[in-house]
Amino acid sequence: MSSIVTSIAPPRLSRRAWLIQMTLVPLVLIGIWEVWAVLANDPRAPAPTRVIESFIDLVAHGGLILATLQSLGRVVSGFAIALVVGVFLGILMGSVRWVRNLLDPIVESFRPIAPMAILPIAILWFGTGTPAALSIVAYAAFFPLLLNTVHGVSQVDRKLVLAASTMGVSRWRILTNVVLPASLPSVLLGSRLAMGVAWTAIIAAELGVGAKSGGGGSGGIGAMMFVFYAYNIDLNAIVVCMIVVGVVALLIDRLFRFAERRLMPWRS
Amino acid sequence: MMNNANGKPKLRLQDVSKEFIAPRTGQLTTAVTGVNLEIQNGEFICVVGPSGCGKSTVLNLIAGLDNPTTGRIEANGAPIRGPGADRGVMFQDYALMPWQTVYDNIGFGLRYGTPGEGLSSNEREQRVRHFIDLVGLNGSEKKYPHQLSGGMRQRVALARLLANGPDILLMDEPLGALDAQTRLILQVELLRIWGETGDREQRKTAIFITHDIEEAVFLGDRVVVMSTHPGRVKAVIDIDLPRPRTEHIRANPRFGQLAERIWGLIRDEAYRAIDGKGGVQPAATTTTEMAH
Repeated sequence: MSSIVTSIAPPRLSRRAWLIQMTLVPLVLIGIWEVWAVLANDPRAPAPTRVIESFIDLVAHGGLILATLQSLGRVVSGFAIALVVGVFLGILMGSVRWVRNLLDPIVESFRPIAPMAILPIAILWFGTGTPAALSIVAYAAFFPLLLNTVHGVSQVDRKLVLAASTMGVSRWRILTNVVLPASLPSVLLGSRLAMGVAWTAIIAAELGVGAKSGGGGSGGIGAMMFVFYAYNIDLNAIVVCMIVVGVVALLIDRLFRFAERRLMPWRS
Repeated sequence: MMNNANGKPKLRLQDVSKEFIAPRTGQLTTAVTGVNLEIQNGEFICVVGPSGCGKSTVLNLIAGLDNPTTGRIEANGAPIRGPGADRGVMFQDYALMPWQTVYDNIGFGLRYGTPGEGLSSNEREQRVRHFIDLVGLNGSEKKYPHQLSGGMRQRVALARLLANGPDILLMDEPLGALDAQTRLILQVELLRIWGETGDREQRKTAIFITHDIEEAVFLGDRVVVMSTHPGRVKAVIDIDLPRPRTEHIRANPRFGQLAERIWGLIRDEAYRAIDGKGGVQPAATTTTEMAH
């Protein structure tokens, strides 16, 4: 019997073996990249060592951190707008049938329109400043929030609502103290997805706004990338920006997962 | 029959029926029909019957969670218009709020509903504490429902029901998920909490659904026997066993006779339910079948 168990269970790995297996391919690829860049003999070709230099440079003169904070600020405010509107409408649509019937066609017809597709209108209406970027972020974050809230509210276990009504709990209290907490998992999932697309959208929006404003404009990490792409043609700096965008996205995701665990201790 | 002082029944069901329309097929199903019952203040009524006899439907109608298709239901002489804290319900699957601890679940009605009106937070806390003690949940106050065994969840649901201080207790197989020993202990507990040892006027009115015939005989003043196709009341049996009842009453020959009699009333249908899956039952169930 023990032989069956051992044959099914994967062999235990030492920590060092695990570390080697997890890092081998990335390290080899970076090595190949470095060698290739040296052989190319072009001072502007991106190489790992030059990317690191560029990163230190950009952090030292403060531009990278400022741009990242600018972008994050827009994401957070755009997300906040979407959160308020999306959750409010989501609760309404999830709990009142006729509201859902009225709004569903509009939601469904705008949903397939990608956030970037409204960029031209956003720039024409709001110019090349923060409001344009903000509106695109809010638009992008709105749909995951709305749809997940609707889903969460309409999936609430009916028994819980009935149980509350047999305890003399008013309809309003049932909404705030049964329906809302019961749909919290969906709302938080929607928030995490919304924050993800909001971060993607802000980079694209800033790139677009940056292009329109000729690199001046309103800053942010997307605009910074545009400047490196269109004016300085600094590939190393662009790679630095790419990595920063990725790391920030990862951190946002982890933060939301952490918040989910803290806000819903009953779900562990 | 046991009438209280003014002779008015606590609950009256007059010719009650309930039909459901299946959402997809539009097929009409009669859940229960022709239910007539008068329940006096302080009575403990048990309802038994095979699955599908509409036991839970009747309970939901009394709770006000559903409206009867025909007939009248009155509590304290007034027709029932909707759910209310005067009729507490203990659901089959407990319906505990998963995001709340044991303590908060038991205090839910006191905190958010009408039962807590006019109580100070101190009084509420005392009341919750009292019922935590009563059902033996000390030490588990901070646990969440998913951390509890089925038996403990049922205790939480029972404590919540009682903490709201309802006039009428509606219980849908509340002891169903317990192991046999715990169940016997809680049956005695339930009778104590209901007020068996005290003054008859002080007792709550209880309707208790079960499919355990011995449990029904042990607990009830009367046992309502229901049958299926369509759901209806087949018989109402008086349980003339003395109170307070203890475990020893099961050795009383009268106890055996009563259980035997009730079993006789539902035996055929119970057997048919087991081996009759293929041979679906009488035509009166649905209108579409009747049309044939």
